[in-house]
Order: sequence, then C-alpha cells, then structure tokens
Amino acid sequence: MSFLSSLFSKKETSAGVAKDRLRIAISSDRDNSVYPFMAEMKADIVKVVRKYIQAESVHVTKESEGEIDTLEIEIVIPKKKK
Amino acid sequence: MGIVFAVISGKGGVGKTTTTANLGIGIANEGKKTVVVDFDLGQRNLDMILGLENRVIYDMVHVMDKESQLRQALIKSKHSDKLYFLAASQTKDKTALEREKVRKLIADFRSEFEYVILDAPAGIESGFEHTIMFADATIVVVNPEVSSIRDADKAIGIVDSKCERVKQNKHVQKYLIINRINPEMVTNGEMLESNDILDILDIDLVGKIPEDKKIVEASNTGRPVILDDKSPAGAAYRRISRRLCGIEEEFPDVEKVQQASLMDKIKGLFQ
Repeated sequence: MSFLSSLFSKKETSAGVAKDRLRIAISSDRDNSVYPFMAEMKADIVKVVRKYIQAESVHVTKESEGEIDTLEIEIVIPKKKK
Repeated sequence: MGIVFAVISGKGGVGKTTTTANLGIGIANEGKKTVVVDFDLGQRNLDMILGLENRVIYDMVHVMDKESQLRQALIKSKHSDKLYFLAASQTKDKTALEREKVRKLIADFRSEFEYVILDAPAGIESGFEHTIMFADATIVVVNPEVSSIRDADKAIGIVDSKCERVKQNKHVQKYLIINRINPEMVTNGEMLESNDILDILDIDLVGKIPEDKKIVEASNTGRPVILDDKSPAGAAYRRISRRLCGIEEEFPDVEKVQQASLMDKIKGLFQ
C-alpha cells in the first residue's frame, strides 16, 4: 500500500514542509541578528559624532542584498533654529 | 599541543552530553590521551553518563580557584585508560566562569592532553560563550527537527562572533552531528534528511546517529553505548571518533530503511 501510494500521489511530505519553513525562518533570523558588538559600536559612533555635532540619535541597521551585507548608519541631527 | 573541541547545540536535550561521553571514549580507544570536561555548570550530567558520579571530589571551579590541583581533580575513566574527566561544579551561578581562568584551564588541558572535549551548556545559556571562547573547533549536535536546527544556526552565529580564533582571523571548524535519526520516518518523508539539514546549516557533516533504544539503557547504567558492539548508535559514534582522529571512514546510509531484496521476499513466501 505504501509503495502504491508513493507511486501515485505527489503529496508533499512533512519533511519537505519542514525544510521550506526552516529555510525562511533561518534566513530571516540571520538578517535580523544584529552583531553582538552592535551596542558597543553604536556607543562609540555616538561618541565620535558628538565630538563634532549635536546628534539627536544614531541608528545602525544591517541590510542584506544578495551576497553583500551592509551596515547603514543613520545620524539624526536636529534642525538649527533660525 | 592538544586540540580543543567544544560540543555545542542550540537547544538543550539533543544529546550533547551523550555525544561528549561517547566521543571521549571512542577517541581515547584510538590511543589518544583525551579529557572530557563538563562545562554545564549547575547541571552536572557528564559524570552520570560516564558512570563516575560517585568519584567526583573536586570540580572545575575548585581547579580554577586553585583549591585543587588539576591532577587531583581529574578522574580516570572506567572504560578507557586514556580517558580522563573533569566534573562541572554544582553551583547554580553560571557566571562563576571568568574569562582568564577559563583561558588558563584550557591551556593546561592543551599541554597535558591530545584531545580536549568540552561539553557546553545549551546555546542560550550564559556559560556557552566561555566554553567556545578558546576552542579550536566545534561539534554541533542537532536532532532532525525544526527547533533544534534553527537554534543550532544561532549557536553557530555566536561561535563565529565570540571565538578567540575568529578574533585572530583564524577559522573555527564546525562539524555537524545529526543525532536521533529515525530511518523509517526519513524513508517516509516524515523527518528531515541529512542533505536538507546540511543545505540549511552549511557546515561539514561528521556523523549521523540513528535513534537507538540502547542509548537510554546506556545512560541507565553509566556505560556509554559506544562500548556496545551491537548498537547501531554505538557503531556511528565509533566511526565519528575515527574521523575526528583523521582516519577515513565511509558514511553508511543509516537514514534509509534497508529494503528487502526481491529474492528475500520470494524466500519469505516459502517460510
């Protein structure tokens, strides 16, 4: 019976489902995982920036595109009051 | 100078300690002077698996705090002349590990032994980083199920960022062991097969271990399954031990249920 059913049905196996789900979950985990030194690095960047300009906030985000990962550093500075 | 392996996993309960004990015996039986060390502070278990729980007097923290000499604290295995064991401390405080003390301890192991195998706590525990920090290579244990594999990927990520070797721009080799494979389920497509897992984790396979009732029996008696000639899991551990000693070993297919041949089926008709 199991032999016949495997011949005639193309039903997806649960192992196949597991593989697909894992692929997606892990790739999103990897994208979201900030580097462990991120907080420290951010604090250092803030220090350097503050030497020159009064920054409101600093955001560091990791972006992935194809084979390349980039770190995007966004420094928000308040507008000068006129 | 010995080589230091850390046996790691993402989640707990996948068979790290069992793997450490069996590989320790297996490698020692290949003639290498070996030490297995329980780094799972507060959850000492390797002593039970090795059948040495009654012999523990000094533990790792005693040695690190110089309350005991390393030689005094090491316990010789009943199962192999070349295997020694150092127990984890039972203190609950996992932060008891200090980086410099761990560095010193590992350096001492390196000069005394050819193979040093560290049984790490699960990847989410705080003692994890201390275990992998000074390792040369890691052995990643997973079960063929989604949560174990996903968490293993995270643990590998921590190794890649926290290991001293990585900071020195050296490579940390990662070897995968897939534990508790149920051949019947893999054959029926109900369990992930090793190729799928390798695809996802992208590290080198060093062994596949079939599910085996003998493992429970082995932990009941404190006599690891590698000593059992009839156990398929024991045979798998022997092969992995030899591979880790640099000996080429074939990878028999432990994942597929061996189909009876047509002749066997015909013979069966007449029985």
